[in-house]
Amino acid sequence: MTAEGLQLTVAALPENLAVVRQALAGFAETIGFDDNGIANVKTIVTEACTNAVVHAYPEGKPGPIEVIAKPRAADMEITVRDRGEGFQPRPADPDEDSLRLGLPLIAALSDSFEITGGAGHGTEVRMRLSYERHANGDGPAGVPDAPETVGTRMSIAPGETARMVLSRVIGALATRADFSIDRLSDTVLIGDAVSAHAAADFSGGTVGLEILDGDGRLDVRIGPLVPGGSERILEGLELPGGTSLRKLATDVEVTRADDEQEFLRVVIDS
Amino acid sequence: MGPGEIAIDHADGGVAVITFSGEHDLNTAPELRQRLEHAIGVGKPIVVDLSGAAFIDSSIIGAVLDGRREAHQRGIGFAVALSGGAQPVERVLEVTNLTATLPVHPSREAAVGEARSGAPGR
Repeated sequence: MTAEGLQLTVAALPENLAVVRQALAGFAETIGFDDNGIANVKTIVTEACTNAVVHAYPEGKPGPIEVIAKPRAADMEITVRDRGEGFQPRPADPDEDSLRLGLPLIAALSDSFEITGGAGHGTEVRMRLSYERHANGDGPAGVPDAPETVGTRMSIAPGETARMVLSRVIGALATRADFSIDRLSDTVLIGDAVSAHAAADFSGGTVGLEILDGDGRLDVRIGPLVPGGSERILEGLELPGGTSLRKLATDVEVTRADDEQEFLRVVIDS
Repeated sequence: MGPGEIAIDHADGGVAVITFSGEHDLNTAPELRQRLEHAIGVGKPIVVDLSGAAFIDSSIIGAVLDGRREAHQRGIGFAVALSGGAQPVERVLEVTNLTATLPVHPSREAAVGEARSGAPGR
């Protein structure tokens, strides 16, 4: 299966907008968007997610925002979906002005968009942007439904696209967790090791990972992997000079869900 | 790639210049609103200089528009500057037609001049 899409799930919080934006910008860059197109992607995905952050869930109880990017023959389709109760107006909303500007921005910068949903069904914003794409594979990703999550959850094809997306997302999360520049580069190594890894080691062929961040710590759960996949990822980071993922990380743990699947957990402190 | 920063520069004597670095969205909009409220409370002319921002969204534009309205209601000069701005920032101001209607000045000096004159925006 050619799985070249990106799926990302974050909690509906303002601080996660930058994470989504960086992920989508990295993804758009690798599939051939020019600078202007990348700027448009950043704006429309931010506006769609802002709408979900402000209106989808009751205040103080943020649910998930799911973002799916699918390259198609002549354009990229970006879907932003929440599982909220539909439009939740808030009294004396200071962002009333900005919300009035958000949809016109999406309309102006995308080629087409639609909004579906209603009370109790969540809201889905689907946007399309055309671009000159590289010739590297075809067919949209088979994207499974993501479970509800408090961290940042991603599913993406291995290789260069995953490297670009992971390095930006991990960089954004590590900066937010107050990592030093040195430790920041260590975290990016983890992203590189995971994304470079053969699709065969991930169940389903796409790189799956979930990142929890906070208190100067990133907690990365990689998988589901086929049995032995964790060891091969760890071996892939044995670098000349004795650097290894085991040395960079505060904690490395392999957990087996069953005979078919395992997960690699890497904890790294600032 | 971390949260963007907002600062106030008082170097242009008598004018509060609000400057930006990094990316700005709903996460930093409350800080901008606080900075604007404070500056309006002090009563000095205000310039919002977006030149250093790598990204702004509708939340930031909403905060700027609210600040501008509030400043003008109190007779305080208010102007916006963007010189050599990042592509996403220019684009957002253009498609919302704010480059012309605010207007957005091509240099901080021009914006400071307008804010000092106290003239309300067109």
